Amino acid sequence: MAEVQTSIQDIDANGKPAKVIRFAGQLDETNVDMEAKKIYEVIDGMVEPNLILDLEGLTYMNSKSIGYVTDWYSRTAAKNGRIVIARPRPNILDILKVVGITQIIPIHDTVDEAKLALGTVVAAKE
Amino acid sequence: MEGQATPTFIGDPITADSVVSKSLTMAEAPIKITITIPTNAYFMSGLRDFTMNIVRNMTGFSEQWAYRFQSVIDELVNNAIEFGSAPGQDVKITFLSLKGKSIEIFVEDTGTGPAKKTADELARLVEDRRHVNPLQLTSIRGRGLAQIVANWTDVLEFKNNTEGGMIVHVMKAIESGEQL
Repeated sequence: MAEVQTSIQDIDANGKPAKVIRFAGQLDETNVDMEAKKIYEVIDGMVEPNLILDLEGLTYMNSKSIGYVTDWYSRTAAKNGRIVIARPRPNILDILKVVGITQIIPIHDTVDEAKLALGTVVAAKE
Repeated sequence: MEGQATPTFIGDPITADSVVSKSLTMAEAPIKITITIPTNAYFMSGLRDFTMNIVRNMTGFSEQWAYRFQSVIDELVNNAIEFGSAPGQDVKITFLSLKGKSIEIFVEDTGTGPAKKTADELARLVEDRRHVNPLQLTSIRGRGLAQIVANWTDVLEFKNNTEGGMIVHVMKAIESGEQL
């Protein structure tokens, strides 16, 4: 069975509450449904969910986990929130590109860049 | 997308053995490895590690393609587990590599799964989904074979076998003009 750790950290993005969700390990058929529930709880618990998915520690993700990311994107957008991705490894970026997710969700090289992008967009809405 | 495999449903038998016998006329004999796993995603992590080692060390493909083939094998076998073989049955995976030339993978199920699909049905499903705009694909499932496997292989074929199951065959050649 693949192992994955998910941690969630509260941050401030230009005065707006946001969260960094860090994945480490492998997301595959054996664990992705369980991990996805945690993210749905985060989205449900925020008025305006602004999320950074920090993928630095993620070494594998399957098509179903990518499907969940797109569903989180839709759910956050429905609540006027936003998702950005930070620090994907080359193989993760490769698979995100091949399914077209990079056309939908912005990718950033660092968490600070992602935070800035999230904050800038949030600030621009005000 | 350019270079994407066209899912086909062919009449000629596609088996690892038939490909090996054709290949034996070539200068270098192919490397053929067959693995049988129970119908359980628990074994996928180990199979991905195995795939990484094989592709890195025995095929002539690059590190990037080793990662890509991890995904290809994962999606193919998960498909066989979900649709092809019932719990308690097996999924058979065969790697065939002509070093510096190509990788082929055959994934065979027993056709006993509760959500069994025929080769024709699966080929049609893949064809329907492979050109979908990612902005319009909102479902959680449906990207594995149609987008990941189809984009990272030159050939994607589905064939019903004589025992009631299905063989999915993929091939990727190094000579396809890509930077491998």
